[in-house]
Amino acid sequence: MLIFNKEIMRKIKYIYIVLVSTLFITACDNDLDQLPPKGLEATALNDYTPVLNAAYHYHTGVATPQLVMGDFRADNMLMQEPPFTAFDLYNSELAGLDLVEQFFRPYYSNLYKSILSANIVIENSSSSTQVAEAKFLRALSYFKLVVVFGDVTVNLSASPSTSDLSILVRQPAANVYDNVIIPDLQGAIQGLNNSDLSSGRATQIAARAFLGKVYLYRGNFTNAATELSAVINNATGAGVTLESNFSDVVTDGNSEVIFATIRSTSVADLYSATEFPGWFDGSDTKSLLPLDSRLTDAFDASSASGGATDLRKVLTVDTANSKGVKYTGGLEQDFIEMRLTDVILMYAEALNENGSAATTVLPLLDDIRTRAGLNSLTGTATTQAAVRTAIQTERRLELAFEGHRWFDLVRTGTVNTEMGQTIDPNYYIFPIPNSEILASDGVITQNAGY
Amino acid sequence: MSKNKFIKQISTCLFLLASLFAYSQQKVTGKVTDSTGGIPEVTIQIKGTSTGTTSDFDGNYTITTKKAGDILIFSYLGFKTQEIAVNGQSTINVTLVEDSSQLDEIVVVGYGTRKKSHLTGAIAKVGGAEVAAIQVARVDEALAGKLSGVRIQNQSAEPGADPKVQIRAASSLSGDSGPLIVVDGYPISGNLATVNPNDIESLEVLKDAASAAIYGSRGANGVILVTTKKGKSGQLTFNYNTFTSSSNKYIKDIEMLKTASEWAADLQTDAYDTSFTDPALLQYRLDAYANAPDVVSMEDYIFKTGNTVSHDFSVSGGSENLKAYASLGYLDVEGIGIGQSFERYNGRVNIDANLNDKFKVGLSMNGFYSHQESMPWEMRDLLRAYSISPIYHTAASIAFVQALDQERQRLFDTGTFTGNNFGRTFDQDYRGIGLDPTSIYDLQPGDVAHDWQYGRNQNGIGGTGDAGVASKFDNSRRYNKTYFANMSSYLQYNIVEGLDIKTVFGADLNNRTNYYYRGILSDGRQRSTATDLDIDEIKTSTVLSETTLNYAKVFADKHDVAAVVGVEFQNTYIKGMVSRGSNVPQGLPLNYSFFNTSDVVTQEVDETRSRRSIFGRINYAYDDKYLVSASVRRDGDSRFGANERYAVFPAVSLGWNLHKEDFWEPFSEKVSAFKLRVSTGSLGTESFLGSYDALSILGTAQTAFGTGFLIPQNVANQDLTWQTNIETNFGVDLGFINNRFRLSVDYYTSDVEDMLLEQSVSEVLGTPSIILNRGDVQSSGVELELSAGIIQKADFNWSMNANLSTVKTEITSLGALDELPRQIYGGPSGRGPEFRNYVGGELGEMWGYEVVGEVESIYLADPSRAIGNGTGRAYVVDQNNDGQITYEDDYVKLGSANPDFYWGLSSNMSYKDFDFSMQFQGSQGAEVYNIDPIYWKSEFGRGLTPNFDANSDGIADANGLHYEQTRNAHGAGIQDASYIALRNLTIGYTIKSDITNKIGLNSVRIYGAATNLLYIMGSDYTSFNPEGVETGNSGYAGPTTYGYQEGASPIVRSFTLGLNVNF
Repeated sequence: MLIFNKEIMRKIKYIYIVLVSTLFITACDNDLDQLPPKGLEATALNDYTPVLNAAYHYHTGVATPQLVMGDFRADNMLMQEPPFTAFDLYNSELAGLDLVEQFFRPYYSNLYKSILSANIVIENSSSSTQVAEAKFLRALSYFKLVVVFGDVTVNLSASPSTSDLSILVRQPAANVYDNVIIPDLQGAIQGLNNSDLSSGRATQIAARAFLGKVYLYRGNFTNAATELSAVINNATGAGVTLESNFSDVVTDGNSEVIFATIRSTSVADLYSATEFPGWFDGSDTKSLLPLDSRLTDAFDASSASGGATDLRKVLTVDTANSKGVKYTGGLEQDFIEMRLTDVILMYAEALNENGSAATTVLPLLDDIRTRAGLNSLTGTATTQAAVRTAIQTERRLELAFEGHRWFDLVRTGTVNTEMGQTIDPNYYIFPIPNSEILASDGVITQNAGY
Repeated sequence: MSKNKFIKQISTCLFLLASLFAYSQQKVTGKVTDSTGGIPEVTIQIKGTSTGTTSDFDGNYTITTKKAGDILIFSYLGFKTQEIAVNGQSTINVTLVEDSSQLDEIVVVGYGTRKKSHLTGAIAKVGGAEVAAIQVARVDEALAGKLSGVRIQNQSAEPGADPKVQIRAASSLSGDSGPLIVVDGYPISGNLATVNPNDIESLEVLKDAASAAIYGSRGANGVILVTTKKGKSGQLTFNYNTFTSSSNKYIKDIEMLKTASEWAADLQTDAYDTSFTDPALLQYRLDAYANAPDVVSMEDYIFKTGNTVSHDFSVSGGSENLKAYASLGYLDVEGIGIGQSFERYNGRVNIDANLNDKFKVGLSMNGFYSHQESMPWEMRDLLRAYSISPIYHTAASIAFVQALDQERQRLFDTGTFTGNNFGRTFDQDYRGIGLDPTSIYDLQPGDVAHDWQYGRNQNGIGGTGDAGVASKFDNSRRYNKTYFANMSSYLQYNIVEGLDIKTVFGADLNNRTNYYYRGILSDGRQRSTATDLDIDEIKTSTVLSETTLNYAKVFADKHDVAAVVGVEFQNTYIKGMVSRGSNVPQGLPLNYSFFNTSDVVTQEVDETRSRRSIFGRINYAYDDKYLVSASVRRDGDSRFGANERYAVFPAVSLGWNLHKEDFWEPFSEKVSAFKLRVSTGSLGTESFLGSYDALSILGTAQTAFGTGFLIPQNVANQDLTWQTNIETNFGVDLGFINNRFRLSVDYYTSDVEDMLLEQSVSEVLGTPSIILNRGDVQSSGVELELSAGIIQKADFNWSMNANLSTVKTEITSLGALDELPRQIYGGPSGRGPEFRNYVGGELGEMWGYEVVGEVESIYLADPSRAIGNGTGRAYVVDQNNDGQITYEDDYVKLGSANPDFYWGLSSNMSYKDFDFSMQFQGSQGAEVYNIDPIYWKSEFGRGLTPNFDANSDGIADANGLHYEQTRNAHGAGIQDASYIALRNLTIGYTIKSDITNKIGLNSVRIYGAATNLLYIMGSDYTSFNPEGVETGNSGYAGPTTYGYQEGASPIVRSFTLGLNVNF
């Protein structure tokens, strides 16, 4: 029976006050709307510079796969231990899990993240320079994607739909070139100047050089020649000149660099396995003696026909230890994506394909030949086909280990002749990471043959 | 005159009558005892009245009866009530006998207690003594096999490792389903590791929705309620427990792991065809394998005997108004693998006090410190090293490698060996940078032995270019330290009879440090980039405040009502620092200040989660026969999207005690208990969600141009919300022959909706996965519990308990998808089974080609090339007989890690002063993908003999079967993970009390025990621990990718000697 008594009521009241106040003490900071005190929420962004920096940064995760694909797939370097030997086999084994996880998937995912970062800047930034830089990076990323994978998914949105799978359908490579890469590079050319060349940021001359390269890959030699000659003409003004010694052509910040992806010991890059200098100098157990003897033979042939020892040989390969020695920068070594020598070689090729005479084309390569301690090529070839071969040979020796060889063979249609075997064209491009096919429920398809 | 006389007569009569009454008011005193002595607090009541008293410390009591023939009722929990009539005695001494029927046992339920007979849910209970009787380091291990529906699995048998605890079915697709642990009413952040088994009074497991619903959003995985010992009033009692054990790995020797000489012997049998190898080369290798001196096998080096020591001391005592319990414990476990150890200190103080008649107050403090050292290198990788050398060179082994190199040179120079490989000296394969001897001619005894010193397998018998085992061990370390403290206090006020208000306030702090170091010498190439110094320091603290109003009253002896209403606020704070260092400077102390600034990346962790809840429950029992219980809880949590923060979780359950019905009278002798119960409820879980998963948080990184904002790992989702689990349980509890035999059968179904999934998405979106609520999983299972008091005599007692549980889970919906993206989860280079999760299938099904056997070793073209080589290929079945082995047509379901059923059986015997108990436990029907054999046999596609498949059509010529490489998602890795284990066998002897009393001790018991005395594994299982499952590799996504095993720490067998002393 409850006894209503003043004494007890007072006690009850007192108790309740004490208990309720303890409740409130703790309820005070019990807020269900929590934001991370030390993190930044995406909707709170107002300065897009760091996003643009990230767009550049993602390319550090792309460098090693690109270089390995370009040289180990071709006749410059060899893998020795399975399953990596699939690089030199040209069958479906290339789609093996180890290779996908170590090369193709990082390549793919870092490029798409760079594209997404670029999209965010393009859609939101108020600075036209930033937008132009972002366009350059987006075009560069899509170019790297189509060259390796063929048809690819195109995403131009900063916040793509997470539920609509139809946006993931792979677009034909030709469309990607025409609708994305070329327009973006043209936009970049308009919006950029050449003031940031030494810092590693995108410049007008870089955009031009890549546009020329893209036209070359597309087979549009006239436009290629136009852009590339503009680069050559503007080079000195922009501060780009040929290095006088071959030993300096891939060092950090050398004078002929037009665009490079910066790597340094003070910045953690986005690739976690063996980096490209280690692959070329035989540091990875999967290929301790990576040098393909055919490259050595090519250098020897060059020396034989060039009138003196090709100086580039000893600076590129170490035949006694069967490895490459071109990269000396170790962890600091930048990935040189475009240098003046490459532009000159591409220009010569474009002119030749357009029908220019050998006498016009071959002298363009004189500086390169002299630097290599060799005679000029002028007079050694007269037909378009012979000049073509001469230029390709020069490209191979000059740009060895810079990720060009395989892609040059594919675009010039000389894979079978140079590799000395018949290779199914399905294997000219690389397999799409299987996780993409599974995650998109098959909307993203695999390349034929894999 | 007659009137006066009449009055006189009446008054005399009355007076006489009164004096009769007066004489019948009897003052009775006496003592209530049991077999050990006086029992305090026994209730003595005069039957039919409300007059009563309780006995004091020594069991003495005094009571005054009203009339002659009054009956005194003596009752005390756990003892048979006695009724004694008072007929003039002034002293009545009573001896109470223990009541084993346990019908009115009190069971702890959420926020209160219930009589066992009034329970309507599925709750399993284990007594503290049972838990402490098994000499394990942690409470959850002790539960293995004791309770139906509770599955304890040693995912890693490392000392100090957390076992996986799963109550009933997994309630999450993407998070691990550990239950909520509530210690003395406080939900702790952490697991059962912090509770000392010797501190436990009782442990209840709330299995079904209706019981766990009061815990709302954390109850979906079940709730384990731990009640720790409290003081008892009376004399101070002390308790000391100690034991020491010696442990070894259970499996003596794996046949697959061979030493060089064993391999040389094998090569000369019919099992291998060495005819394709150049005879001179073959002889060179055979001689080298057979003669390699001082070989130490990897198994012998890595595994050893481990010793364990445990000390535990507790004090309990109190007075009428103050009760206290305190304990201290110490445990030191040396693992059976080198580098493994676990050390733990813990302490507890529980104080309960009655401030006055109405106020109760209590304080509970628990502290815990543990230090676990793990094997710093993956066991799988260590065991695959070649056993061709001693661990550190001896003079003999140095001479041997030098001689071998010279022999190779001689054979090369004479043209016997052709090919450039043979021209390479062993020294040419040195890949380091000079931090240790670069030439075999510079070796000194005591230097670490490396494989390259024996030649790589082209020109010698060495294996990989990896660093030698000693280099890996001596230059790596992995440990973690945990400091845990929990404090909770309560204040309870009795407002009126039956109505209490209680407020609990508590906090806990869990400070964990994880340390990992790998030095330059552990890498075969001595690359600075392969070094690591990683230190994580995370402090998780929670603050809880809870206020409940409890009402319990029995009306008119028939209506038993209990109700509770409460509010709860809890905040969790996670703060810490995660540091990752690489390029560890060689030769300097391990301190980040010696690193290059760019080599140290630190990330701060600072998260807050908050939750608030309101809940209520009402229980009603009519005449102990008809039982109803209903509860509801509303929770809000900051982790969810802004649109979906709150959810309501109701539950209801009913029960019927048939045995109390009148119509049951004739059966009640045989069937003494018969209860039917049904319950249904809804629970929520936030599963694996992080604090800010509903938001898009940018990652940051240093770039060449300054700070960069990386693409967020997650896409913001305002609608991210709870998973809801609706569970229904049907149960029958039967008791036979006065409850000497008991049987419980439960059948439950559970339906989880709005499952939180880490859905794989295309990386075009910038992230490999996003979190969504999508999907529906249904589970069902049957649980049987049987207990039997087989023999119950005065000095011989034998009882047995058995339980069996089945769980079946099926995915019934995945939103718009038919199937979750298939995922290969496994080890290095993504080698593992393909996990498929699709509508209509189980969770985490493993798919691959069906393997019917390994390609025989006779088809190895060059078996002498490497030790322990297998062919690396297996025969597979062409499922649709189309002559081709294709992914689409020939992949089949190989199994899953979910067992068909799991069971436990225990037997407890006592004869006079001896006690003997056994605990069996087992699991049947689970499979595991064991990758160890694939690495141990270096199965990387070695060449096969030309006669194996002459036309290279993928079909073996000898038997017409298709074959494939074993390393890609194949059935070759699937092995049976079933087992039967004799988890514990204990024999104890309690020294006679008259002897021990002489030296002032109440009781002393010595015992001997064995853990895992017998452990029977599946016939095709080839590693050390069938229960092992790897969940730490990247890409692990919870139950959808559960079932891969690599290098699981071995099952341990121990022999223990222990002592329990009470004084």
